[in-house]
Amino acid sequence: MTPFSKTADGILVVAFSAVESDIIADLAAQIAGMLAPLASSDDADPLYDLVGIGGNTSIDSDPAIARLLPDAYGDDAAASSDFRTLTERSLATRKVANARVVIASLERDGGRLELSAAEAQSWLRTLSDIRLTIAARLGIETDGDEGATDSDAAVALHDLYDWLAFVTESLLDALED
Amino acid sequence: MSKTLEGTELREHTVLDSPWVTLVWNDPVNLMSYVSYIFRSYFGFSRDEAERRMLQVHNDGRAVVATGSREEMERHVEAMHDFGLWATLQKADA
Repeated sequence: MTPFSKTADGILVVAFSAVESDIIADLAAQIAGMLAPLASSDDADPLYDLVGIGGNTSIDSDPAIARLLPDAYGDDAAASSDFRTLTERSLATRKVANARVVIASLERDGGRLELSAAEAQSWLRTLSDIRLTIAARLGIETDGDEGATDSDAAVALHDLYDWLAFVTESLLDALED
Repeated sequence: MSKTLEGTELREHTVLDSPWVTLVWNDPVNLMSYVSYIFRSYFGFSRDEAERRMLQVHNDGRAVVATGSREEMERHVEAMHDFGLWATLQKADA
């Protein structure tokens, strides 16, 4: 990877190897796939679908999904449930859309990407969603947690998690330029 | 007549006295630079203010990032969830 830089007209430029591109696209596709069932539903009332309401009434049992779509009220389960019903579907839909922007930009540009400011915002959010999901899978719950390191797969996930932090940091640096 | 007026005054009083707050909670995943960036780009905080609140989240486990009506705070919480931050709203005096 050649770190992000910003051109005079605000385009974010970055270069990834083919392997790096494939990994990010694959992870983004996993986020989209994980949230797609919450983003839309075939038996939904089309009117509800139109305005985004019709979400679940309680937080998901999958810790990764629960972290991406958390409760809105810290101290009021009923209000959280009502709010979730009204907003969960649109939030999940936006997250799926962000992940698809990441995939589309990788497919469009190949190794050397030129992202618009809006695409860069989708990248930031999807990178966060991917890292939150990896952390949930590794059991990283509080500051200083190492999470699982007991298998080659876990170690590989750790490396990926750290590398995605580097990608995020690089994008933030370029946005601040 | 007078009862209705009193009722109205009481309710307005309650709204003014009990604003809602948006809290952002610490998590081990999101980068400090990302949280600070969000506080600046979304809430419009100065660099120093964003940094101060980000460190408050990091050190104290949470920080108030906005105060206002319930509807406004719901909008902010949803925007924070968009970014992947862990945020909640509650009554200011809770």
